Amino acid sequence: MKLSKKPILLLAISLAFMSCSSDDDMPVANNVDLEFTNTFGSETIVLGDATSAAATVNTSAEGQVHHFSELKYVISNIRLIKEDGTEFPYNVNDLDEGATVVNQAKPETTTYELTNIPTAEYKQIKFGLGVRSDINTLDETRFPEFYASAGANDTEMMWEWGTGYRFTKIEGFYDTDNKQLSIHTGSTVEGQEGSYTQGVDAYRDIILDLPTNAVVGNSAPKINIQADFNHLLSGAANTITLGDGNATPSVHTAANMVQFVDNLGGNAETNTKGMFSIISVQN
Amino acid sequence: MMKKIFAIGLIIFFLIGCSDDELSSVSYENPEVALTIPTDFPELNSSVYTNMPTKYGVELGKKLFHEKRLSTDNSISCASCHIQKHAFADTHSQAIGVEGRVGIRNTPPIQNLAFMNFYGWDGSKLRLENQPLVPIITHEEMDSSILEIIYKIEDNQDYRELFQKAYGDQEVTANRIYKSIAQFEYTLTSNNSKYDKIQRNEGEVFTEIEALGYQVFQEKCVSCHSTTLFTDQSFRNIGFPINSDSNEAGRARVTGLENDYMSFRVPSLRNVEYTAPYGSFGQFKTLKEVLDYLDSGVLYAENLDPILKDNNNKISLSEEEKEHLIAFMKTLSDPDFINH
Repeated sequence: MKLSKKPILLLAISLAFMSCSSDDDMPVANNVDLEFTNTFGSETIVLGDATSAAATVNTSAEGQVHHFSELKYVISNIRLIKEDGTEFPYNVNDLDEGATVVNQAKPETTTYELTNIPTAEYKQIKFGLGVRSDINTLDETRFPEFYASAGANDTEMMWEWGTGYRFTKIEGFYDTDNKQLSIHTGSTVEGQEGSYTQGVDAYRDIILDLPTNAVVGNSAPKINIQADFNHLLSGAANTITLGDGNATPSVHTAANMVQFVDNLGGNAETNTKGMFSIISVQN
Repeated sequence: MMKKIFAIGLIIFFLIGCSDDELSSVSYENPEVALTIPTDFPELNSSVYTNMPTKYGVELGKKLFHEKRLSTDNSISCASCHIQKHAFADTHSQAIGVEGRVGIRNTPPIQNLAFMNFYGWDGSKLRLENQPLVPIITHEEMDSSILEIIYKIEDNQDYRELFQKAYGDQEVTANRIYKSIAQFEYTLTSNNSKYDKIQRNEGEVFTEIEALGYQVFQEKCVSCHSTTLFTDQSFRNIGFPINSDSNEAGRARVTGLENDYMSFRVPSLRNVEYTAPYGSFGQFKTLKEVLDYLDSGVLYAENLDPILKDNNNKISLSEEEKEHLIAFMKTLSDPDFINH
């Protein structure tokens, strides 16, 4: 009796090894990592306070120097497009499972892991900068996790007065005398899409072709996405000079917010890239 | 023997459990509350029809309106700022929230909201049911969250009973909280001022001074403070001193339109006697100060209201006219509304 246990143990061990080494069994799904690299041009942004020597300083098309002390934005509504054109929506109606706040001050937030992506080759990615209006209601009951992370004291991605999320929050300094810049964007629309009764829709759909297909299966690809904040003041839509009239929320939430939104996220019509581009796909 | 006792105990336990369930499924008579709809008042906000006030919905809303557990440290309720004797406004220039935090705007009165199409100074909310969340989560107001509130009140027997009576079961949900508070507010109709009684030919008459004030009002005020609500519900920049809070842009922060910069909803003049100070952040202590300011000239702006632009950026008023106007405005006071 004592000896008879050994063969079973051996069998079990060999089985375990077999399953490990069986390369032919393609998994039905795998992960995809989205890595966001926030830059001014090709230089990765380093945040810093007014007098920081380490902070990355950018110069706008109008010759205005500026740097950031805080840089956050919301990514949601992620869709991966297969080689055959079909779309895989990734928890697009669930902010807890399908949305994230990218915060340059927290390295762990610049990578967002998409789990359980069906095995296939993907040629394109779509995502939203911000939150679609139909779910942008600060509904803590429905999405407690996203609500908590967006509302955290060190994140502050909420517009309480508008009961919606902030889509981008940029704090920093401009001109050589380091005047304060504070640029917040978000939607204020009321009513149904297509027939909004008032407000501004600051959500932008981003569409990016992948330079090489992301092959999900045995490998878990990493898609490195660049967000070039040089576009903030020097974008495809608008060339902006910061001043008393637009550098802080009281004015830019009014007329000028849309200019920043169009620069960062495209104009929602002809430009669906805004500041975003693909750096690489690693399979 | 022991087993038998145990079994009987178990059966009794189950029976208790059953009868508890029966209790909780008792249905209560919960009739709709007939809203007072005064003659000549505008149409109801269409949202009212999707949330008709009921006897227990209103009772629950009233209890929630006075519930301090709505704030993070249980220190303030809606009623802390919306005080009935001030027509549900208060006496501070800017609203005071938890820990004495100062909000950016003056507390607006709560009256005749069922007939309004916009809520708040900038009209960011079009349905009253969407409004309670704002003060609940705002840092300078209650600084709480709806789940925190549900957690605090859901085991309370009084609330469980009221939710049962109002909605048919005891579940405390966010939407039920919002709807109940709105239902209570829909019932707050003010239409028993001296002015109303005169309009209804109930025997009262204007004094001579009030009658003169009514004339001035019709000449110089009624283009904005129109209708029986004494507001045309438009948004206008009338050149009042500007709130330097960096979050203030008036109506423009909602619409994104330059032309709405520092525009605010024309406030109703009903019960204006009780709601000092005046202006979007309480710039003026008295009605006299408001009239003096309008008379001496307002701040110019690109989008200053055309009525002011066309009149040298002012509304000229003699001292007598001001006195008469104030006398007239006091005929819009509704003692029944603030006392009952």
